[in-house]
Amino acid sequence: MKKIHNLVIISLLSVIIFSCTDVIDISVKEGVSQLSVDALLNNKAETQTIKLTLTQGYFDNSAIKPVLGASVFVFDQDSVSYEFKDLKKDGTYIYDAKNKPLNKIGKQYALYVNYDGNEFVSVSKLNRVPKIDSINYEVNKLPVKPANGPQEGFQPQFYAKDFEGEGDCYWIKSAKNKKYFSKATEIQVAYDAGFSPGSKTDGLLFILPIRTSVGRELYSDKDTLKVDVYSITQEQFFYLQFVQQVSQDGNLFSTPLANIPTNVVNRNLKSTKKAIGFFGISAVSSMETIIDKNKAKPKK
Amino acid sequence: MKKKLLFLVCLFFAKNVFAQEKFTVSGYIKDSANGEGLIGVSIYVQEIKTGTQTNPYGFYSLTLPKGTYNLVLTYVGFEKISKQVDLTKDLKLDVELKDDSKLLQEVVITTKKDDDNVKSLEMSVNKVDIKTMQKMPALLGEVDIIKSIQFLPGVTSVGEGASGFNVRGGGIDQNLVLLDEAPVYNSSHLFGFFSIFNPDAVKDVKLIKGGIPSQYGGRVSSILDVRMKEGNSKKPQFSGGIGSIFSRFTYERPFLKDKGSFIVALRRSYIDVLAKPFLNSDLKGTRFYFYDFTAKSNYRVNEKNTVFLSGYFGRDTFGADFGFNWGNATTSFRWNHVFNNKLFLNNTVFYSNYDYALQSDLKKKNDQDAFRWKSNIITYSIKPDFTYYPNTNNTITFGGQLTYYSFNPGQAVAISGGIERTIGLADKFGSESALYIGNEQKLTSKISLQYGLRYSLYNYLGKGKAFELSASNNDGERRRIIKTTEFGWGKSIQQYGNFEPRFSANFGLGQDNSIKLSYNRLAQYIHLLSNTTASSPLDVWTPSSNNIKPQLADQFALGYFHNFNDNLFETSVEVYYKDLYNQIDYVRNADLLLNPAVEADLLTGKGRAYGAEFYLKKAKGKFNGWVSYTLARTERKIEGLNQNAWFPSRIDKTHNLSVVAIYDLNKRWTFSSNFSFSTGTPASFPTNKFIWQGYALPHNYYDTRNTYRIPASHRLDFAATRQTKYGFFKRGTGEWVFSVYNVYNRRNPFSVFVRQNDTDPTKTEAVRYAVFGSVIPAVTYNFKF
Repeated sequence: MKKIHNLVIISLLSVIIFSCTDVIDISVKEGVSQLSVDALLNNKAETQTIKLTLTQGYFDNSAIKPVLGASVFVFDQDSVSYEFKDLKKDGTYIYDAKNKPLNKIGKQYALYVNYDGNEFVSVSKLNRVPKIDSINYEVNKLPVKPANGPQEGFQPQFYAKDFEGEGDCYWIKSAKNKKYFSKATEIQVAYDAGFSPGSKTDGLLFILPIRTSVGRELYSDKDTLKVDVYSITQEQFFYLQFVQQVSQDGNLFSTPLANIPTNVVNRNLKSTKKAIGFFGISAVSSMETIIDKNKAKPKK
Repeated sequence: MKKKLLFLVCLFFAKNVFAQEKFTVSGYIKDSANGEGLIGVSIYVQEIKTGTQTNPYGFYSLTLPKGTYNLVLTYVGFEKISKQVDLTKDLKLDVELKDDSKLLQEVVITTKKDDDNVKSLEMSVNKVDIKTMQKMPALLGEVDIIKSIQFLPGVTSVGEGASGFNVRGGGIDQNLVLLDEAPVYNSSHLFGFFSIFNPDAVKDVKLIKGGIPSQYGGRVSSILDVRMKEGNSKKPQFSGGIGSIFSRFTYERPFLKDKGSFIVALRRSYIDVLAKPFLNSDLKGTRFYFYDFTAKSNYRVNEKNTVFLSGYFGRDTFGADFGFNWGNATTSFRWNHVFNNKLFLNNTVFYSNYDYALQSDLKKKNDQDAFRWKSNIITYSIKPDFTYYPNTNNTITFGGQLTYYSFNPGQAVAISGGIERTIGLADKFGSESALYIGNEQKLTSKISLQYGLRYSLYNYLGKGKAFELSASNNDGERRRIIKTTEFGWGKSIQQYGNFEPRFSANFGLGQDNSIKLSYNRLAQYIHLLSNTTASSPLDVWTPSSNNIKPQLADQFALGYFHNFNDNLFETSVEVYYKDLYNQIDYVRNADLLLNPAVEADLLTGKGRAYGAEFYLKKAKGKFNGWVSYTLARTERKIEGLNQNAWFPSRIDKTHNLSVVAIYDLNKRWTFSSNFSFSTGTPASFPTNKFIWQGYALPHNYYDTRNTYRIPASHRLDFAATRQTKYGFFKRGTGEWVFSVYNVYNRRNPFSVFVRQNDTDPTKTEAVRYAVFGSVIPAVTYNFKF
């Protein structure tokens, strides 16, 4: 429900004209550098990537340091292993899944990283994903000229239905003219067909603000819109919510900054060398459409 | 405990043993201009150098040995009156006092000033009279009770624009805000920009920060007791104002041969009305306004019985298609009964409701796709309060309160593709009852005491579910529900009882000095769940349950009070220490709305607050005002946060300085100015960052909380008030108020947050967020006829 809360509050606060922001300098004591794991995989038969980097001071704007020389493996529940290799020596460990994709729906996958004498592990599960039924769009006109997109155009909406059974989670991504909306504040996650565990939307069509959220702005004739629905674990649902929350601009109703929990742990639980980051695996269903003004629905 | 009580009882009777023939003088003291009962008028008996005060209804009672006495009646802002009474039988003496504000502007009063500051038992109590508030500069010229009290020692706010106020390190939900004895759950309009009290309808405002008498209970930090005007019982009167945000209109008049009077007051914002012609058709339906309606009526049935009915209804509405609204409604009915000249009863029955609703199809109902959500807290209560005046040295108060709470934490309907789902959080119920007794006793001419005991009993009632949660790992993570038990209607799910002793004492040191000390224990059974810097209107109140224990506070305060220059200046220094138990905090990424298992997202711990408050006030003369400085600290220790160590609470501000200066130049012009300075609130910043999916994410390697502070805030405001000869149509009076908020355009940080630069994602930076980033001038016109 936090999502709705934020939407409401932010839209209302924008009404208040007196507020302002500016960049300032603050000094903070840096912490010890740690291994950071960025490992999101999917079931597609394409190159899968795991990035390993080192954390650095928050206000240190020098280039991020890659982690080199680690050995990285993913294992599935049937003990099949997939090795990820840093071919370019830039901390980007890849596995070409063309012939042997990671696509065992309903099965668990484990990540294993050996770096600097420490073994880090993580577990995720490849969950089911529903098919996208359709994307349609209706004529719309905004009252004021928006920052992005046209003022008059088409507002798209996608249709897909959550599976029966409580607790399916999804990450819905979209791209306008091949360019993904990739800001943290644009992360759209769903718990069943709604926003959160309490929302009891199991088995429904994704509820309305989610269905239209993929557009982000209005579309013109011939624009393309691609929608991807990624299945995620509940753990990843909360992780992404968290990512979104910490990436929000401060306002009257900000929550206190807290550390985003990680699902990557040192096998030696007593070790002081801890990793941060997240490992997840998703099944993906996609649909792409080219906006055709003749097919647009009239405004309701 | 028993021994102590016995001792007190003995003390009480000691004076009565030598009783001689005694008579009682009692009655009401009122404002001669409008017949309003005056609260806290001092009645001093010259011959025996003792006295009493009027109660909140203007009633007083004095029992004295047979004889002739001079009663001196003094009240700030009113002419002093002396009355000779020949006490050979019980007497009724009603007195009307005259406003002395006209005098004030012409001569400096040389008669004896009010020495209440030193003499009264009250400590940690502040009053700002409404006339002073009306002179102080205010945001957009809108006189604001909540903002005005933030200039008092020990009172702060987490930042400009935040709703509510913090008293001596307590949360905003720890203040019991009473409007004619009914609790108000959200005291703000437009988040925290304006308070819900219409200043034209308010008679008296009293803030009790410590030494809280036993008749009050239910919150652990403070009591803000707001009393509404009763309505002019002398003549019909219109008053109002046209401001930059609100327009106000008040009408009051007597009825039924002056035995009764009423007042109705309405305020409404009109940004939307002004903007309407400029909106195009799509925005035509946009609603954006807030209003409040206050009404009160009283009727004097006979000498012994007076009844009052008061009500408040306020609402904020925002939105076009997707909109929401919230507001309070309170109704209180009161019956004052004078049993005899020594026993006074006020019986209050009240209803209070705070609710909000949010829906996606506000403008046009949509049966295919919609989201509608509402939540409320309703309180019903009955509260008899007796005051017994056995003799001049004792005033005994006793009574009780019975309260029933009904909480709707969130009822929502989600309609998707025509299929409707109810996302219902079941209603929760609770009852709170209390019995109390207290005595205000003058032990000797130098020592007076106030002591009392309150017992409160709380029940978390069915119909409802009790959750058993997994053991806490002290890691700040959400807990699991391991067992759910259903309870039927009216069944007690959990019960808590608390004894709440209260004590304060005044030791007089000569004419102009006194030392006061106090102790109180308070219990609070309902809690506002809010994990944001400022509380939002969507925050939900929740009852104590088997998992949420009642909050408790123990407070000790010691003060030195000194008046000088013939009471022209009042000063005080107070130190306090407070222990808070069962304080609520939240797991990381807590989900507090529409979450059936919200208890699993809560953490508990303890708190402590301590500080010193310095106050210097010049209450009289052309140039008046005050300076207050508070040095304070408030900390929390919560299992699972900050490595389980103490950390400063998010409302902690070390230094707080306020200056209020008012200059009454002449009959036409009054100038005023406010200045405030406060240390920045604590903040948590990341020590490190990591890159994940292209996002630069913050990480605090030490996992500490509130280690840093945002920059300090300071602000200067000005106002000038010009009285006009006439109001509208050459009748009555009028005034123009010109105000400037934030004179030197300081961008006071509300918060500092970190972010990934929008245009260059490889860069991360700290950003200061200011709620008011500009000078805000305003003009208001007020009238009365």
